Amino acid sequence: MPKTITLPPYLSARSADDTVAVCGLLLEGGGAVLVDASRLKFADPFGLAMLGATFQMLRDVERTVQVCGLGAAAAGYLGRMDVFEGVERVDCGPPANQRHNRGDSLVELTRLDTPQEVDQAAYRLAHALVGHLPGIDPDEPPDEMSGYTTFDRLVEPIQYALSELLENALTHARGHGFAHASVWVASQHYPSSGIIRLGVVDNGCGILASLRGHPELKHERHLEAILAALQPRVSCNRDLRLNLESVNQGVGLTTTCRIAEHAGGRLVIVSGDARHDTAGKSGELAGHAYWQGTAIALECRRVGLPDIRYRELLPAYEGQYRPGLRFE
Amino acid sequence: MRSQITLNQYARGHMVGTRHTASPLRDEAEKALARGYEVVLDFAGVEATQSFVDELVGGLILRHGPDILSRLIFRACSDDVRAIIEFVAADRCDQYLKAHSH
Ligand SMILES: Nc1ncnc2c1ncn2[C@@H]1O[C@H](COP(=O)(O)OP(=O)(O)O)[C@@H](O)[C@H]1O
Ligand SMILES: [Mg+2]
Repeated sequence: MPKTITLPPYLSARSADDTVAVCGLLLEGGGAVLVDASRLKFADPFGLAMLGATFQMLRDVERTVQVCGLGAAAAGYLGRMDVFEGVERVDCGPPANQRHNRGDSLVELTRLDTPQEVDQAAYRLAHALVGHLPGIDPDEPPDEMSGYTTFDRLVEPIQYALSELLENALTHARGHGFAHASVWVASQHYPSSGIIRLGVVDNGCGILASLRGHPELKHERHLEAILAALQPRVSCNRDLRLNLESVNQGVGLTTTCRIAEHAGGRLVIVSGDARHDTAGKSGELAGHAYWQGTAIALECRRVGLPDIRYRELLPAYEGQYRPGLRFE
Repeated sequence: MRSQITLNQYARGHMVGTRHTASPLRDEAEKALARGYEVVLDFAGVEATQSFVDELVGGLILRHGPDILSRLIFRACSDDVRAIIEFVAADRCDQYLKAHSH
């Protein structure tokens, strides 16, 4: 008999605690699992990326996963997102096949394994998301001043954020014995509210392991590490003396968070036993839930994206030195 | 003499994003600098992430010091790219000078 795990009604960034908890239950122990989805009402890209990552990690260790009790709507939705690759569906409603026809720009769950894939994936995913927005014409003539179309203006901030988040997940997350970590990403636009959501989930070392020993980290706690990582110039690898090959600047996550905020949104970051919502509650996850890795939800408003100007999002420069630069 | 790196060639859409893409370009710039060339970084038609600019420009400053900037030319930058270059250059020069002041 496989063990049965019941999915909660919401798999989402707003229900991050429940989402992480159920993924933890699924991964625990060994043997086959039966996933009872009869209570599931709603999943967002964060929840889908978490569930997709979890299913794939189970398959990687050759554990059989069966899903039962899915309603037709949820079956269609999750099916369209490719969450169920390799998962057997038993006793579920017939999946409604309606990919790409409701204007809700759902972009299927994607897994990346190497940093080489990030540029292309960030572009493709941002393009796919914006390409399905209602009322956007990719072929409109560009603005004469800037050379950019409305389409470009929407794609770029998303591509920027994905580039930073995915590269973090395939570099930092692969340290400290997690060389084989992967990252899963899903995204969706909600036409009625104009909200765009991204979910980026890795199964790597987690932010605390990456930043352990950093002077900004007073206590070895997951929440403190998340908060430190969001500070400008906090990086596991900012100093050339630590690493001759490559150095980071510690501004990527800071800027990504500001992109979300300037577009009327937020980040929710889960790592280890902690959750930080940049516009809400932060703390330890309820019920001892734990995610080995880092899971990030980005939420923003579509109308805010074209007005993003990266120059307004950079951290203040507090130093004395003003280098002479040759611009042509 | 000048050697040029045209970033548009490496863009996806209008953007150069990852450190992974930037780091071989930094190697290319370093080789040209070692041969005595000035290096033109041509940003025409592209936006860039701060991480990309840091890997390319910040990396050169940390290895060779702020003086290297006198041999780099930034061409056709958008306002955003220009601001990112200014931020990265100031931050990394500051870091370099602090590290080498004792
Ligand atoms: N997915 C992740 N897994 C582990 N650590 C991470 C992850 N994302 C960010 N971090 C940690 O947070 C720090 C800050 O990230 P970021 O602001 O992007 O700066 P940078 O990448 O330049 O170091 C990283 O140096 C790393 O220690
Ligand atoms: Mg980063």
